[in-house]
Amino acid sequence: MDAIVVEGLRKQFDPPKGPVAVDDVSFGIREGEIFSLLGPNGAGKTTIISILSCLLRPDAGEARVGGFSVTRESDEVKRLIGVVPQEIALYEELSGRENLLFWGRMYGLNGPALNKRVDEVLDWIGLVDRQTDRLEKYSGGMKRRVNIGAALLHNPRFLYLDEPTVGIDPQSRRSILDGVKNFNAAGVTVLYTTHYMEEAQEISDRIAIMDRGAMIAVGAQDELVRLVGERTRINLALDRNADILAERWRDLAGVSTVSEPEDGRLWVLTDDANSLMPRLFDSAQTAEARITEINLAEPNLEMVFLHLTGRALRD
Amino acid sequence: MLRVLNIAWKDVRHVYRDIAVLVMMFAAPLALAGALGAAFGSGDNFSIAAVKTVVVDQDEGAGAGVPAAGATLTASLTGPDMADLLVVTQMDDPEAARAAVDDSEAAVAVIIPSNLSSALMSAGPGDGPAGPTADIQLYKDPALSVGPSIVAAVTESVIQSLNGARAAGATAARLGLSLGLTDTDSLSALASQAAAAYAQTAQTEPPVVLEARGPVVASAETEKRPNVASQVLVGMMLFFMLFGAATPARSVLDEHRQGTLPRLFTTPTPRSLILGGKYVAVFLVVLIQAAVLLLVGRFLMGADWGEPGPVVVLTLCSALVAASLGLVTVSFAKTPGQAGAVSSAIFVFLGLISGNFMGTANIGGTFAVVRRVSPLGWLMEGWSDLLYGGSWSNIVLPVAAAMSFTVVLFAVSTFFFRRRYA
Ligand SMILES: Nc1ncnc2c1ncn2[C@@H]1O[C@H](COP(=O)(O)OP(=O)(O)OP(=O)(O)O)[C@@H](O)[C@H]1O
Ligand SMILES: [Mg+2]
Repeated sequence: MDAIVVEGLRKQFDPPKGPVAVDDVSFGIREGEIFSLLGPNGAGKTTIISILSCLLRPDAGEARVGGFSVTRESDEVKRLIGVVPQEIALYEELSGRENLLFWGRMYGLNGPALNKRVDEVLDWIGLVDRQTDRLEKYSGGMKRRVNIGAALLHNPRFLYLDEPTVGIDPQSRRSILDGVKNFNAAGVTVLYTTHYMEEAQEISDRIAIMDRGAMIAVGAQDELVRLVGERTRINLALDRNADILAERWRDLAGVSTVSEPEDGRLWVLTDDANSLMPRLFDSAQTAEARITEINLAEPNLEMVFLHLTGRALRD
Repeated sequence: MLRVLNIAWKDVRHVYRDIAVLVMMFAAPLALAGALGAAFGSGDNFSIAAVKTVVVDQDEGAGAGVPAAGATLTASLTGPDMADLLVVTQMDDPEAARAAVDDSEAAVAVIIPSNLSSALMSAGPGDGPAGPTADIQLYKDPALSVGPSIVAAVTESVIQSLNGARAAGATAARLGLSLGLTDTDSLSALASQAAAAYAQTAQTEPPVVLEARGPVVASAETEKRPNVASQVLVGMMLFFMLFGAATPARSVLDEHRQGTLPRLFTTPTPRSLILGGKYVAVFLVVLIQAAVLLLVGRFLMGADWGEPGPVVVLTLCSALVAASLGLVTVSFAKTPGQAGAVSSAIFVFLGLISGNFMGTANIGGTFAVVRRVSPLGWLMEGWSDLLYGGSWSNIVLPVAAAMSFTVVLFAVSTFFFRRRYA
């Protein structure tokens, strides 16, 4: 039995003409896993998070969190969840510590227990030194970390993170991703949204790919990439005659696709890179061309998205 | 309950950290009350020492049947209306009077020239050659300003009314000419009579300075007369409390836009408690504002608000009224900007019909009835009753009326907020 169950969810803003943000979406999240919603802007990720946070009522369908209905038992649901909103939702004029104290009280914490918990969270998000500074003096990455910390104070069973790494430096992103993995290792079930394929690949146990309100694929990463077949992509750069070679390679055994060359660069899709590569070098030599660069890419979610929608993930 | 206070406390702190808001809440009403209080001088219970004044009346008059202008001025300065403000000594010798000021025995000397009456009674401008001029000398201690300026104001207003008399005299003379009177003797007699009559009516109407401190609708049974600063401050306090209330009320919209309100709604704290926290915040902000303004008025402006019990009740009532008005104007609005514009317009309108800009003294007649359509008007009535020495019995009706308005306003704002957020 899944810990979070979503069935036939639908939400239209400003009906009847408004956008259908979520259209008949169903999925389940298992206790203890990191589940990601991956999709481009406007896919409906935030709308799903809002419904699962009891902020928006769905037009149709049903969602249960920890066995409780988000529409009929919202009080119980809210006690189980910690929500990290996409936009930083904190008080700029309060210090980092004051913000955490404030949000902790809103989760019903008090007194020494609250103070102890705030100390712990400050330690996790690495802001012990800066805790008394007002938030308006924090960098974007520091605010993002407090934004996450405020959702952790009450030890939630479920943690929702809505694009928590948008617009920050690689270092802060690293520490956030590591933090999420740590909370998860400590037993928190995580619902994560992102439009960065690499992030979804790195942290997720399972991924749902969304596009324009619809869920187009769900599964573990290897299950998803199997959708495009078990192929490897060979990326090449040639010093000359790329057009001629692309033509010849399309007829080679074991090659499924060859891209149109661009500035001497092209890629080849194959089921068996090991046996194909020596033959590529041979045929380049006969065409008096030299392969100046070569690398192999395992199939990724980018290719899955392309395969399923015909569009690139980052439109 | 703790969570309600948690939200309220955060919002109160937010307001009291904003310098621009503090200026609007405190500096504006105090500055207006202070400026008007200083301009109009002090009232009966204002605690500055009476100004020592020396008057030297050298006026020789302008003939029989006409009261001497010098005597009129002297009478004004020594009259009972001025008794609390001025201690007047009369002298004959201008030199001695100036010496008294030089020796700091008096703050100001008023030296009336011998030709004052004749200068005033001579033909007015445009009617023959310009008449002689007369200078009244105000000789004052340069170290002092308030006292001498009171004397100067009184003197000026008397001279103005006498100049009016001079004009009236000239007019009467011209009127006589056009009626066919040519005999110069009877003409000048007519002019003198007209001038004297004008001067007398002018004197029965007290000059501006005296009017400002005297209540028009003073309660007959009490002797208490509030000073100008306190009368102005009451109106300004109630008016600016509306803006004080609108600021934290608007934070509902601000927080909605900044995402902290939706985030609050994802916590286990019920939405009703979150809105309750906002209501408490608005109430506390204006309550603190009122308390500070009343205390500053009491200790720095010499205001005597009245009996402590009724004052406390009326203060709480005023804070509730301001809070409900602040919330209701925000509850209609969609954006903070819209809320600001709409509420300002409503507040100014309410201030105008409730007499907040007039001071309690000048309210009477139909206006006292009209302002009862507004909860602020009722509050103004309650506060002025206390200022003039009223007690519990006087504020029962104003408090009951204002609270009825408030209950309705709170209900309306709650309806709109719940429809939008709960
Ligand atoms: N409050 C709203 N009113 C009207 N339309 C909305 C509202 N919120 C979202 N939408 C629309 O619903 C659709 C899905 O939006 P949503 O915010 O769920 O996407 P998202 O996947 O979170 O995108 P992003 O990656 O940009 O955050 C979009 O077309 C958006 O314009
Ligand atoms: Mg989003």
